[in-house]
Amino acid sequence: MLTETQKYAAGAVFALALHQAQIHQTRPLGFLNEDDDGDGSGLGPSEERCSSCSSADSVSEDPQLWVNHSCGLLRPVFRFLEIDDKAWAGLEETAGHSEAKQHVGAFLRLLAEEREAASSDVCDRELALTNGVDAMSSSMETSPTDYESKKEKQWEYEQSCREKLSNPEKTPDMKSEEKDLLDNIQPETSVTTSIVEHSNLQSTPESNRKPLEDVEMLSYSRKVTVLYELLSACLADTPEDNKKSTRRRKGYDARHRVALRLLVTWLDVKWIKMEAIETMIACSAMALLKEEESKEETQSQESSWTKWKRGGIIGAAALTGGTLMAITGGLAAPAIAAGFSALAPTLGTIIPVIGASGFAAVASAAGSVAGSVAVAASFGAAGAGLTGTKMARRIGDVEEFEFKAIGENHNQGRLAVEISVSGFVFEEEDYIRPWEGQYNNLERYALQWESKNLFSVSTAIQDWLTSKIATEMMKQGAMMTVLGTLVTALAWPATLLALTDFIDSKWTIAVDRSDKAGKLLAEVLLNGLQGQRPVTLVGFSLGARVIFRCLQILAESETNAGLVERVVLLGSPIAIKDMNWEATRKVVAGRYVNVYSTNDWMLGIAFRANLLTQGLAGIQPVDVPGIENVDVTEVIEGHSSYLWCTQQILEQLELDTYYPVFNRKFFKP
Amino acid sequence: MDSSSGPPPEFDYLFKLLMIGDSGVGKSTLLLSFTSDTFEDLSPTIGVDFKVKHVTVGGKKLKLAIWDTAGQERFRTLTSSYYRGAQGVIMVYDVTRRETFTNLSDIWAKEIDLYSTNQDCIKMLVGNKVDKESERVVSKKEGIDFAREYGCLFIECSAKTRVNVEQCFEELVLKILETPSLLEEGSAVVKRNIFKQKPPETNESTGSCC
Repeated sequence: MLTETQKYAAGAVFALALHQAQIHQTRPLGFLNEDDDGDGSGLGPSEERCSSCSSADSVSEDPQLWVNHSCGLLRPVFRFLEIDDKAWAGLEETAGHSEAKQHVGAFLRLLAEEREAASSDVCDRELALTNGVDAMSSSMETSPTDYESKKEKQWEYEQSCREKLSNPEKTPDMKSEEKDLLDNIQPETSVTTSIVEHSNLQSTPESNRKPLEDVEMLSYSRKVTVLYELLSACLADTPEDNKKSTRRRKGYDARHRVALRLLVTWLDVKWIKMEAIETMIACSAMALLKEEESKEETQSQESSWTKWKRGGIIGAAALTGGTLMAITGGLAAPAIAAGFSALAPTLGTIIPVIGASGFAAVASAAGSVAGSVAVAASFGAAGAGLTGTKMARRIGDVEEFEFKAIGENHNQGRLAVEISVSGFVFEEEDYIRPWEGQYNNLERYALQWESKNLFSVSTAIQDWLTSKIATEMMKQGAMMTVLGTLVTALAWPATLLALTDFIDSKWTIAVDRSDKAGKLLAEVLLNGLQGQRPVTLVGFSLGARVIFRCLQILAESETNAGLVERVVLLGSPIAIKDMNWEATRKVVAGRYVNVYSTNDWMLGIAFRANLLTQGLAGIQPVDVPGIENVDVTEVIEGHSSYLWCTQQILEQLELDTYYPVFNRKFFKP
Repeated sequence: MDSSSGPPPEFDYLFKLLMIGDSGVGKSTLLLSFTSDTFEDLSPTIGVDFKVKHVTVGGKKLKLAIWDTAGQERFRTLTSSYYRGAQGVIMVYDVTRRETFTNLSDIWAKEIDLYSTNQDCIKMLVGNKVDKESERVVSKKEGIDFAREYGCLFIECSAKTRVNVEQCFEELVLKILETPSLLEEGSAVVKRNIFKQKPPETNESTGSCC
């Protein structure tokens, strides 16, 4: 659908986006406004220096760069786009060398260029594709009633939580004490406004507004076509001819998704359109898979299985199956088979939505859809893969580790996954309900883990809170003082320490389990049980610790950078010093958010005094480049508030926006 | 693995050079001839090409990053974005095609003035394909006059016979070396990579902490 030149330009713009995305990993836009004079606006002072002196090293010599060929992120895309391989080096260097703004405009102009012999056929196809995408995205958008009902549900949950938690602390004066303590807190129901100062405008810096004039030259349908082609290229499983780039795993790389997200911002297209495109490509790829499947159907079940494996048609799925069986002892095999039959209805639903002509356009646009089969095949197995991962005997200590499907996006051809991890739970529903009301277009799972230990530690903390002495201390406002001092100096009242003894033992076990669960989660991701799709990880309390541990393990190998797309840690019991946050930053392709509350003294106590010298991510910002720190002190009453506030916080984080949407608030001791 | 305080850079200066000129004048072949001592008939460049060559000139180890742009009209918008930060620009024309020569003054020289961010950037006029002496339509005198008018260096060469190819780049680089402001930019000390300036990693102090 694109001319040779346009493909070249599309590849180039994508390469630029990819490189910029990597820069933003450690230097997010919107965070730096110091010496941003007109020239290098948004990219920060050092980037400016780099581009103006033009003496940065050559891309080909730095394998750490995403645009370097050894990362295997760009070349497959170029190959799929049929860009002349002579031009590859130039594109890589262009992407790696210079700041985006000077080139993006030029390439966009190249994209806007009309073909010499404007064939109406191509225009029609472009238009059909665009209509398809529009229809698809509107079907994916939240309906207001839907949203309302979700809100309602969330509110109910909040009420029940509060009921439950405040039950033992019914004493009226306790209530009022709590009020005093957290005097600036409004009742939840009215906190629909803002957590901290919202700064949408400021967070979309000038440099990324820059290409706008060129963007306007691009027709909307052309943009959609370009995005479509690029995504197909990202997913395509093009045969590699050089061994060097085998480092890349099959499937949808998180870094690709982040680059596309940035590109969508440059092109001024809504992200939901991109999600629609993702779904369409997934489905058209699945159509092909189904065809294959029906061809095989004549043979016996047994032989078709082996044939699949041999033919490598479902290489990814077979791999998934293999590891699954290793973990669950073969229990999951039927589930995988079920997954495949579950693909069928998806196609049935998509064709009416985007229309037959739209579908034709999709199919033709994808061109060699066959390439994307690896991803398509992995979906069916993915559902089974995640929900099927019940328990790993290999890590004996973890007694429970199970994914629960939440939301309605399963088997809908979604190309991104979200895994939510609760960490402060009182009963089973607390694993799921905090996440239920959330709305996005991800295929979502909640991780249920170690409920026995978590229940007991949560309850112990809660009991302690309501114990006589704690209540006394709260009355005196001691808690706040304690939290205030313990961050800087170490002045724990001895009485308080003694008190926490009986939490300690339970907490220690829970922390230990969370580290092990994190290891398990990393294994799940490494084995591609999520269907080789980019993952967004969200977790609060010990759940955040699970995620962090998982990231630490992923960070041990350089090749794991393409698994995790975004991370949100809320109220996390993780030390700041000596935990190598920088390393974990590298394995998160997109946004990495640390949500903290400065008055979460419960976390402070549980986390224990001697560790607070190292800092605590749940109560103070983590000063590591590239990590967004969000202060939610105003919404969080206590640690348990995360149970019902998480959804609201996530909503305001606007994870689908490329840029951080919050002001960084610095913690002043 | 990625410490910037590793081995010293294997070059003293890094220079960015840019090659411009009409389509078909032989920019890519000239570059190929320079970087790999070979001559081939190449298809038109798409967008930009990039080559690196290490040379030693005047006792200094140099790394030349040479950008070879497409001459075709459709890539013209693109070319403009590559002028930025170039210490040297090589303007190539074909001595057997007059329009490639006139276009240098009509189009390309203006582009340099418009887009180059570097006041002192060294320009070099190169007449290519002197092996086709019988077909020559642009005389050496015209080239010299043009060069004088625009204040740039001048050389005639042939990518095919490799006559003056080395000299072409060498002269340009020598001139850059004589220009302090350009030298400063290309100094390897300034060389830095944004991803290589991480603080040393405090590894393996992780694990459990309770």
